[in-house]
Amino acid sequence: MKLERSKEWWLTRARREGDATVGAGLLALDAKPDSHTGTSTGAAEEARIAFGRFVNLMRRRRGLSVERLAELAELDASEILIIEDDVHYVPEPRTVFRLAQTFQVSQPRLMQIAGLAVVSDAGLRQEAVRFAARSEALQKLTPEENAALEAFVAVLSQEDLKKVK
Amino acid sequence: MMTKRTMTLNLTDAEMRALEELSAKKELTKTAVIRQALRLYQTIEARVLKGEKLVFENDATKEKAELMLL
Amino acid sequence: MTAETSTIYLLDKVVGTAVEAELRDAIEEAQLVDWQTKWQPALIVVLQELARQRVPMAQWPQSWHWDWRAKMTQVAGLLAFRGFSVLCAGVTQGLMRVDLNKHAREPGQKGKPLVYIDYLEVAPWNRTDLGKTARYGGVGTALLSAAVELSLQEDFKGRIGLHSLPQSDGFYRDRCGMTDLGADAQYQGLMYFEMTTEQARTFLDEENGV
Repeated sequence: MKLERSKEWWLTRARREGDATVGAGLLALDAKPDSHTGTSTGAAEEARIAFGRFVNLMRRRRGLSVERLAELAELDASEILIIEDDVHYVPEPRTVFRLAQTFQVSQPRLMQIAGLAVVSDAGLRQEAVRFAARSEALQKLTPEENAALEAFVAVLSQEDLKKVK
Repeated sequence: MMTKRTMTLNLTDAEMRALEELSAKKELTKTAVIRQALRLYQTIEARVLKGEKLVFENDATKEKAELMLL
Repeated sequence: MTAETSTIYLLDKVVGTAVEAELRDAIEEAQLVDWQTKWQPALIVVLQELARQRVPMAQWPQSWHWDWRAKMTQVAGLLAFRGFSVLCAGVTQGLMRVDLNKHAREPGQKGKPLVYIDYLEVAPWNRTDLGKTARYGGVGTALLSAAVELSLQEDFKGRIGLHSLPQSDGFYRDRCGMTDLGADAQYQGLMYFEMTTEQARTFLDEENGV
């Protein structure tokens, strides 16, 4: 299909476009927080805060950029960004699987924290909330952050949660 | 994309009438109607093959009736 | 099927002059490679900055997660779907996928076939909403023009339809003169616009350069 017009014709229209950002189409992922918070409870959100923090801290502890982690985990960098930043976002199961593998923690447990599986474990939820409360989103991992992260990793890796703390 | 081939269509009176009606209704030439039908048929076929169902829903009663293809 | 190209002109906003570009009636591997290796990294940089500034996600450019390779694979081989791209300086500047199966809703043309724009996106460096100066102007308009032209060539009389990304509502309504059919509850509340035959005539008018 050809479209033939004069140079002036094109430029007039380009100028008319001005400062507008032109785009169209269905958002495959609804970025608006509203649609996700519809059914989520405060507890689920708290767990997801822990999930986002966990991913963020584990990444920074290894000195990885978002892109590098994406590469290693074979994921989309943009999804990692949204996981770390948006408590309302529920990730794809495959994503959680890949992150659990990359960080070497229990996949079922990470799934619960991410909001993809029903939290069957009240203890796990408690630990997640503790971790979320203890960790702060800072540039460098503070000793406190490190300690909090260590404790949480232990929780995610333990066979029997009752043994921890 | 630009090269087009000619085909002769043998249609019954009823089919020709239906084609003319659609042509008038949709403001399309008869050729355009046939091309549109081909696109629709191909798209539906592809989606049904993927496992989707083509369904009609009654707007008022919300009753669904599946259009069996393949 | 070889792609057809048309010579078009864009505005180089950095230098302030016109620049020759190309409109192609296909999205081919080279364009997808550009999307993957040039658009994505540029977008990640922007998103990281937005995240760092704690800008709420609702304000992020809303098409950032689109996967063009998946979008084109989904419709490969189907007659009803067409891709269009704009190239400048050898790099893909914009992409568009259209659907020829859809029909108009606007009362004056209800039920008549139109070219529906499934997705239209310009490269991150051409966007004006990312806090930086946009590079090339006219990419979105060029793709929109292609959709209208296709509509004419397919005997759809220039009719097109689309769901607007929120930041683009004003552009379609005021600068393109499209009919605003309101927020569409079935489509995430996005505004649905249609162009009628009359509007298309004005839009593509050779004479009417203004």
